[in-house]
Amino acid sequence: MVTNTKEVKGKDICVQRVSPEEKRELAYKDDVCVGCGICAKICPTEAIELGEIGAIERTGVDESKISIDETKCVLCGMCSSPCPVDALDLKLDEKSIKDMAEYPKLIKSAEISDDLCIYCKACETACPRDAITIARILPERSKLVTGEIEIDKDTCISCGICEEMCPADAIEMEHHEPTSSDPTVSSDIKVDKEKCVYCLICRKSCPVDAIKAVCRSCSYGDYDLNPEDTETTGSSFIDEEACVNCGWCQEICPVDAAKVEKAFEGELTINQDKCEACGTCVDICPCNVLSFPEEEFGVQGDKLQADERFCIYCGACENACPVEAIDVKRTAVKHTPTKSKSWEKQLSELKTQT
Amino acid sequence: MVELKVDQDKCLGCGNCVVACPVNGSISPEVASGHGSKTEETIMMVENGLIKLFNPDKCTKCGTCPLFCPTDAIFLE
Repeated sequence: MVTNTKEVKGKDICVQRVSPEEKRELAYKDDVCVGCGICAKICPTEAIELGEIGAIERTGVDESKISIDETKCVLCGMCSSPCPVDALDLKLDEKSIKDMAEYPKLIKSAEISDDLCIYCKACETACPRDAITIARILPERSKLVTGEIEIDKDTCISCGICEEMCPADAIEMEHHEPTSSDPTVSSDIKVDKEKCVYCLICRKSCPVDAIKAVCRSCSYGDYDLNPEDTETTGSSFIDEEACVNCGWCQEICPVDAAKVEKAFEGELTINQDKCEACGTCVDICPCNVLSFPEEEFGVQGDKLQADERFCIYCGACENACPVEAIDVKRTAVKHTPTKSKSWEKQLSELKTQT
Repeated sequence: MVELKVDQDKCLGCGNCVVACPVNGSISPEVASGHGSKTEETIMMVENGLIKLFNPDKCTKCGTCPLFCPTDAIFLE
């Protein structure tokens, strides 16, 4: 009889069974796992157990968030299909069942349209999983403001006032110490036209009127500005492994460039009478859904609040709550079709259990 | 298996853990508001100036008490 083998690397787990006919391999990535426990609930052989997520996430207990009993696991892959963050993956002969049409997989996605994106980075800042990277190329400042500047070196007394006042650090002088061979302070003065913003502060502050400068925008407005020169360009990147499809990017984007599709629909209810405001759920939630809003400025409140726009209904908060003050209900589980009645049934049961 | 443990040598007897513990609060609400427990049903209490576990089996390992302990005298391991 071919038996399963288990390999533990750090906190990652791999259960394998290699037979002459096929190789089955279940891989678990702990850094991707959010500790929701859906795998443990759906496992038909009770081979998966959810760890003490509160202790692990909050006090640094050095354990995997789930454990897999390889003697019970039948490598069916039912745990990997509904995993909302793809921390589990079953491979048959090196091919993931998530890439096989006969196996159901959750319908979820997150994307940012580079056509619409204005690279403001709001999504990158808001993403609770640090899954978004916005790389942007700013317009060249020298193309946005143009003008003329000239310093009459014969008039200039090398006082350095313009250099000290220039807000763009565009003026540089070589300060000359007087010597017996050259008993002057006369210094060379240079203007970096890439840095100069033609604010004219140098001209206005020069005590001997040695600077002639004019700003073209002030004189002529924006008529000679090339619109392309003003644009910030760039690209966006979502790390699919880190993304949990929470929807923060979609909600915060000012130009509707981010679109998120969630696999689960549902409802999150807080029982305020039971809540002891311990904050476990706030620390556990992978989506930054829960918080204790300030009651007044600077005073931390103790009334738990949820913003369901960002909830993926994974149920991690409910499992971690020590006093059963949170109830997460799933009302829809969206997945690709499967012909298997048992898989269909197990997936649909996720609607009633969390 | 993660367990709730105490190190009485480190304990200052401040009672932060007793007050912070959400399970204690749900068993004995006066504890959550900073008073002594009226029952021995809570998970832990300060007795003779030191922390003592009365009902560690009720602990859900949420990790709240270690966050409030100033000396790491209560921990999950």
